[in-house]
Amino acid sequence: MNHDIDVKKMRINCFRQSKVPGEFMLQMRAPGGMVDAKYLSSIEHISKTWGDGNFHFGTRQTFDIPGIKYENIDAVNEYIENYITEVDEELCDVDMDKVAGEPQEWDVKSGYPTIGARNITACVGNYHCICGNMNTYELARKIEPIIFPSHYHIKINISGCPNDCNKAHMCDFGIIGTAKMEYHPERCIACGACVRNCEHGATRVLSLNEDTGRVEKDPCCCVGCGECVRACPAGAWTRSEKKLYKIIIGGRTGRQTPRAGKMFLNWASEDVVLNVLRNWQKFSAWVMDYKPEYLHGGHLIDRAGYKKFKEIILDGVELNPECLVAEDIFWHETEYRSNFNVKPLSMHHTAGPQGE
Amino acid sequence: MGYSLNPDQTAELLNRLAEDYRIYAPKRFPKQGRYSDTDIIRYDRIQTPDEIVWDQKSDYPAKEVISPIQQALFYFTEDEYRESKKAKKPVLLLARPCDITAQLVQEKIYAENGGFKDLYYDRVHNKVKFAVMDCGGGDDTCFCVSMGSNKPENYSLAFKFDENGLKAEVSDDCFADYFDGMPEDDFTPEFVEENELKVTIPDLSDRDVRLALKSHPMWKEFDKRCISCGSCTVACSTCTCFTTRDICYGDNPEVGERRRVTASCQVAGFDQMAGQREIRSTAGDRMRYKILHKFHDHKARFGDRHMCVGCGRCTHMCPEFISISATVNKMADAVDEIKASLADGGNHVE
Repeated sequence: MNHDIDVKKMRINCFRQSKVPGEFMLQMRAPGGMVDAKYLSSIEHISKTWGDGNFHFGTRQTFDIPGIKYENIDAVNEYIENYITEVDEELCDVDMDKVAGEPQEWDVKSGYPTIGARNITACVGNYHCICGNMNTYELARKIEPIIFPSHYHIKINISGCPNDCNKAHMCDFGIIGTAKMEYHPERCIACGACVRNCEHGATRVLSLNEDTGRVEKDPCCCVGCGECVRACPAGAWTRSEKKLYKIIIGGRTGRQTPRAGKMFLNWASEDVVLNVLRNWQKFSAWVMDYKPEYLHGGHLIDRAGYKKFKEIILDGVELNPECLVAEDIFWHETEYRSNFNVKPLSMHHTAGPQGE
Repeated sequence: MGYSLNPDQTAELLNRLAEDYRIYAPKRFPKQGRYSDTDIIRYDRIQTPDEIVWDQKSDYPAKEVISPIQQALFYFTEDEYRESKKAKKPVLLLARPCDITAQLVQEKIYAENGGFKDLYYDRVHNKVKFAVMDCGGGDDTCFCVSMGSNKPENYSLAFKFDENGLKAEVSDDCFADYFDGMPEDDFTPEFVEENELKVTIPDLSDRDVRLALKSHPMWKEFDKRCISCGSCTVACSTCTCFTTRDICYGDNPEVGERRRVTASCQVAGFDQMAGQREIRSTAGDRMRYKILHKFHDHKARFGDRHMCVGCGRCTHMCPEFISISATVNKMADAVDEIKASLADGGNHVE
């Protein structure tokens, strides 16, 4: 076959190049990793009709269908119109006629318009899990219209509790569901179950005061996981009704400097999380001089420096009273190559508007 | 005398009753459950009819109104002490049939055991009038009929709530005036006659059978499954065990209070004695103790009825899905096995 294919254009369309010339793998978004099971028959149809009959669970919870020949991509894009419309436009209220907030009409037969803002992943959260503190996929569906469609890259992982099964620590912008726990001493039987659970499964912030028969807490180090609530036989611990979140930024894998993310916000309200994300495009655009590159959020924070990131990302955001913000971030990277960072000045990356 | 009240009249009735009574009923506490975004239902003081949860069993029992999880018994200063003040206003407690029958067991322990009447229980209990609430047959953890607790006798009012209001029967004349001008109806309460769940309690009158049951391997299952959290006993309608704690105020050991705090035979350390010895050191031992207490020992001592009223709250609240009815049925199978073995030449079951 004739191999004159613009693979970068295909990638933006969410078709990833295969090692087999002329073949591509479609990646279908599933925000929060949760969709109606009826779409599985659509996935099967695409795979059996245009793919190689196999299906892969994308590492970012996309439906991945490999083995699609280049010449069938138009047919596939036409077929997935329904899926994109129902999942992104209707379920998540995404405006498909905008890219990064700027008007750009979506050709409904052309498939996904951008790949930059990656699929938002999530654990199953409190929809099912006994540990979860929040409904993860509902939050994902609220975030989806803020970040998508856009050519600016961001990987968002949502974990329903600080156990972080979905690795909020390993992405650009990780969200961890927490709650402030409320103690009702009049219901406490001083059995110590919460103390043991916290010690065993969390940060050992509880202790039983034998003189008062009450449980005491070091609130500074509480991660807001809810293990005390789960352990209590008498309902003496309850989750605050208000859902709160930890935001972990700058985590990444990669060939140069993989690292776990660090905490940016603690005890942020949902409004704060959404408003911070509304500043993401602005921050990304500023760092890259308004020209989207294939570069992920953690690198953008590195280029701008954390303090500049903080300035732009918190611009106009009214923090809830409980919310704490990292004054600085102390990254801890794996340097695959020693002094990787030390190089001629001409090789240094730039950040911010570069003028003419 | 029976009545049929619309929602407005129901609210008016509660207003009238609230003038003379503190009204307690099952109430929903949104998002305060063990798991995120789940509710709990427990007894609390209510003001309006829409606070009353009548179509769902409460997670925690009605006993909390009379014998709360924690209470200050008395306060001390050097060599003087003063009893905690008792509430003056009587209580009207809206409870299910099983809850009301359970009060017979509570009374037995607090007021009729060992010739001693517990003052702090008695002074509350004497001020409580019961309104029995129609439970609509309960849920799939209920076995009140098997335990004979489905038809309580000690109640002053009978209520049946539905979307259209309240049907009520007044069986204690002291409540008649509150219904002045309310529409009469020929309502009489009906009690559940059959549960989906039935429990057969094995005959444990034979001492040899009991001894063999004590060491039967069935209890070992709970060493692995039960986490000894005590959720079952806190949720139990009839458990009465408590401990006391002397709490000193600040750094002055001469001033403080004595508190009564709920205790649980399922929590490790409950039976720890001087020298650190524990009689029941495994979860299986503790489960056996509870099951036998509820389905043999209490009746053997007091003669009238088994302690368990079949409200099913322990099953409902167990985080490890241990079902008390399934456990009793397993015990019944073990007893059959033991009896067959004893009849077969007395080979003890290990």
